[in-house]
Amino acid sequence: MMKNGFLFTPEVANAWKSAWASVGTDMNHCGRRVRDASTSSQLQCKLWIVNELSELALFPKSVVLLGGWYANFIVPLLIEHGVSYITNFDLDPDVKKLSYKFNKTYKDDETYKCYLSNVMFEPVFNIKYKSKPDMIINTSCEHMFPMTRFKQLNRGFFNDVVYVLQSTNEDKYEDHINCVSGPEELAEQAEFVDIMYSGTKTLDNGMERFMVIGR
Amino acid sequence: MNNILCIKWGDKYDDSYVEKLKEQCEKNCSVNFNFYCFTDNPTREYDIQLPTYLDHHYIPSKNFFWAWRKCYMFSDDHVEGDRFLFLDLDVVIHQDLKYFFELPMQKPWIVRGWWNDMETVKKNYARYKSTPLNSSVIRWNRGQMKPVLQHVKDNAEVIFFTYPSLDNYFAHHWYDPWEDSGYVQGFPQGDIYSWYKGNIFPDDMEKNIFREDHKVCLFNNSGFTEGENDEKRIFIYA
Repeated sequence: MMKNGFLFTPEVANAWKSAWASVGTDMNHCGRRVRDASTSSQLQCKLWIVNELSELALFPKSVVLLGGWYANFIVPLLIEHGVSYITNFDLDPDVKKLSYKFNKTYKDDETYKCYLSNVMFEPVFNIKYKSKPDMIINTSCEHMFPMTRFKQLNRGFFNDVVYVLQSTNEDKYEDHINCVSGPEELAEQAEFVDIMYSGTKTLDNGMERFMVIGR
Repeated sequence: MNNILCIKWGDKYDDSYVEKLKEQCEKNCSVNFNFYCFTDNPTREYDIQLPTYLDHHYIPSKNFFWAWRKCYMFSDDHVEGDRFLFLDLDVVIHQDLKYFFELPMQKPWIVRGWWNDMETVKKNYARYKSTPLNSSVIRWNRGQMKPVLQHVKDNAEVIFFTYPSLDNYFAHHWYDPWEDSGYVQGFPQGDIYSWYKGNIFPDDMEKNIFREDHKVCLFNNSGFTEGENDEKRIFIYA
């Protein structure tokens, strides 16, 4: 069945209240970014992932997020999809703090872990994972060097994982340093040899978004 | 031996900038020093030919990491002596440069732009904007900046693709804006200020004034890129 949201339980409500309280006080400078991470378009992108994974009957146990940002939507969606462990790598120290607040329940039960790392410079295979990752999700491909680099840095470790990649052709933002023309180029950048899904979606904010799933 | 280095490439600045900088150093440095200019067109006795081994990584359509040539100085292979002070061509020197050669050198020094609002720096960190560091003045001892050059060499393709400026790269790999510390350290408040941006946020932010009790005034505003012209000269040498 097509998913169109996630459960906003009392635990989630408490965690989100705490995150938003921080944004209103000690982490005021994050306000705009947290708002940007909480739009309907952001939710659309993350729902797109779990719905296509269901279509493909892909039910990973341990997922790595690259540049997962505050992970406020993707973590509860993946948990509901049956994922047991989620490990997020992001280079922004504020992301670590806030993503732990948004996902406090999952942090406390060690389902969710966040590391400070620039994944285009540092390998991530040497982290102590609760369970060896079987899926890597990068919904921030437009913000970083092509995925071949990640594969080189972690050569020999993530051979069997399924990659879920999203990007865009929207180049009006300065930090979109790696826009692609379409899903084909996105798959090409990651040197996919097995493309399980390839698609395009126009989001609520008008942005055209591409997604590829494959190896 | 103390060495003062500068760098000139392309046609953004003409030779007179180098001569003027040399004159300023001679007027404002009470310790002995050698003066060198790294350049793509060496013509004078103090000129040193710029290497080119990183140049092919530059992507003109992106114009990122456009000041990469500064990294060539960090090899220390071209100049004898142990103490290095780099100055951008468009700085104005107010005080005795001897100060820089007498700093404790546990870590290299670089300009910490005290005029930056750190909330903005943190907000824009992941967007590769609003860097708190500025490479217009750098002080290092022999060998201290070699790890930086090596890191750039080892990761050139990613660095030239990712970082809009050298200063941004420094802030991501050699400094932690949250801790205000790192492999490099920032010159203290009161040493260096910016003509275009001010001095210390939020209390001393008046722009376009000289503060002659400071050591150096910067005219670089990190918004200028290779090949762009500006009218700094009328401010600097008026």
